[in-house]
Amino acid sequence: MGLVTDNLPGALLPLPGGGALLTAIDQVVNWSRANSLWPLTFGTSCCAIEVMMATGAARHDLARFGAEVARPSPRQADLLIIAGTIVKKMAPRLRTLWEQMAEPRYVIATGSCAISGGPFLYHSYTTIRGADEVIPVDVYVPGCPPRPEALLYGLLTLQKMIREGTTLARPGEVRKPVLAALPDGMTLHQVRAEIAELVQETATVDRAAAATVGASYASASRV
Amino acid sequence: MNATVATTLRARLDALPSQSLLGTQEYFVNMGPQHPSTHGVLRLVLKLDGETVHQVIPVLGYIHRGIEKICEHSNYRQLVHLTDRMDYLSALANNWAATMVVEKAAAMETNSRIEAIRTLVTELQRIHSHQLWWGVFGMDLGAFTPFFYGFRDREILTDVFERTIGGRLTMNYIQPGGVMHDIHPELVADVKAFLAVFKPRLDEYEALLSENVIVQERLRGVGVLTAQDAVALGATGPVLRASGVAHDLRKAEPYGLYGQVAFDVPVGSRGDCWDRYAVRMQEMRQSIRIVEQLLDNIPEGKHFLVKPAAKIKVKPGVWYSHLETARGVLGAMLVSTGGEAPYRVHFRTPNFNNLWAVTTTATGGRVADLVAILSSLDLVIPDIDR
Repeated sequence: MGLVTDNLPGALLPLPGGGALLTAIDQVVNWSRANSLWPLTFGTSCCAIEVMMATGAARHDLARFGAEVARPSPRQADLLIIAGTIVKKMAPRLRTLWEQMAEPRYVIATGSCAISGGPFLYHSYTTIRGADEVIPVDVYVPGCPPRPEALLYGLLTLQKMIREGTTLARPGEVRKPVLAALPDGMTLHQVRAEIAELVQETATVDRAAAATVGASYASASRV
Repeated sequence: MNATVATTLRARLDALPSQSLLGTQEYFVNMGPQHPSTHGVLRLVLKLDGETVHQVIPVLGYIHRGIEKICEHSNYRQLVHLTDRMDYLSALANNWAATMVVEKAAAMETNSRIEAIRTLVTELQRIHSHQLWWGVFGMDLGAFTPFFYGFRDREILTDVFERTIGGRLTMNYIQPGGVMHDIHPELVADVKAFLAVFKPRLDEYEALLSENVIVQERLRGVGVLTAQDAVALGATGPVLRASGVAHDLRKAEPYGLYGQVAFDVPVGSRGDCWDRYAVRMQEMRQSIRIVEQLLDNIPEGKHFLVKPAAKIKVKPGVWYSHLETARGVLGAMLVSTGGEAPYRVHFRTPNFNNLWAVTTTATGGRVADLVAILSSLDLVIPDIDR
């Protein structure tokens, strides 16, 4: 028909009753939100290079998906891409940043560290085992670090979720996180329980063994 | 106004020293941990008077992951992959530092092919790292074009690494006993193609940024680090060399094949931001020289001398070895009580020492200069916190 019907999906969707206009507005608003995500520049470690920089730079060009306007201030951003490890000292800051962002806000956790603690899952006394311990996460992008293409896929997934997601009529309603990398028959709850068990195990110190090692260190000769 | 109140106010104002009426006040501003110019989660507490910086207090630990502690629970082969995540822009040099100390401790041997491959890829990554620094440095000074140009050319080199190593950033390539995979048959041709593209572009970079008057004005005489201060702080790498101290472990204590290749150590004279910039630009050209000498002379032989599943055991003792990454001297210390896992591992990382240069050089300058100084130090924050 015209520009409106071709480019704004569902804008003129005929529905019976007064709800028709509201539904159509939901779809238009969600379509706009999905295509104009403003990410917060939040990079703590290695993933920042791949996810924040390489993805935004010349070859991978995040601008193709309307998400290149990276803002340093959380008050101007609506997408938090967690790029890197979150440790105990940083966790309250991450929470503050997320709370400062205006709603609706979305979170993508990139990399093993932000998903589960990654290489620092075992024996680390500072790493938070997954950023979702601190703030709710919408999309998980696995990798160590993920390739820029992986982030683009994560972004497209988020856009899909937003288009199908929260409505203006029910603002509190949020879709469940996408768990693309989880094997069949395994739930997020099981993964969390397993991680908690591992953390408990590595936090326990065998004092007798530690004393033996200390004694042998004292007698070790300097080479 | 009520006459009594006005009189009281007048009396109070008269009682104040005249300077404090017109003078300014010192105040504190937090820069970071979430800040685009600190390149990570470094937090600087700034004591300012207007735009003038009176004191810089770095606060660390926002990305302390306990890598050294995790190394105590890893065996000698496993701990190498953790070093990737310290200075991720020099991942191969970090791998090599850990490998070097393990090989020294376990008395493992290498051959000339392994050493040649290690030298070649590490030198390529020095270019890789400096390219990123150049782009980000331009961005911090307010120019966005260098960021795109730097990454455009960096991606070509990333492809070269990906073909041989498999990784784009965290490599885990250099292992005790050799290198993980033999080099890709096309590596030499790929690198030559890259150099053919990159060498003219390096001149273009110089024309674009180095010869820019605004850049020169912002960098010359800003953030001067004297040679004495640099040595006292333990600064290394381009930061130390820009201050006029020609210290480079590749020359001072040659490892790998650095003893057999010809290259110069670029040195600055004043130790300002411009010198640090110029030294890194020259280092890229020197790295190209080293790579060109090595490319056609990679000896034949095995790329891995021990069985991949073989357990490495180390007798009790203490070992230390160090090498030159793109940012300075990376030292690795190993304490063993025997067995398959170390008792204690410590890394002396270059960024930790280089960071403190900001506390002396930025004092008395402007906040905008502080950003230029921080960027000229080329800090990687997870390398500071480990």
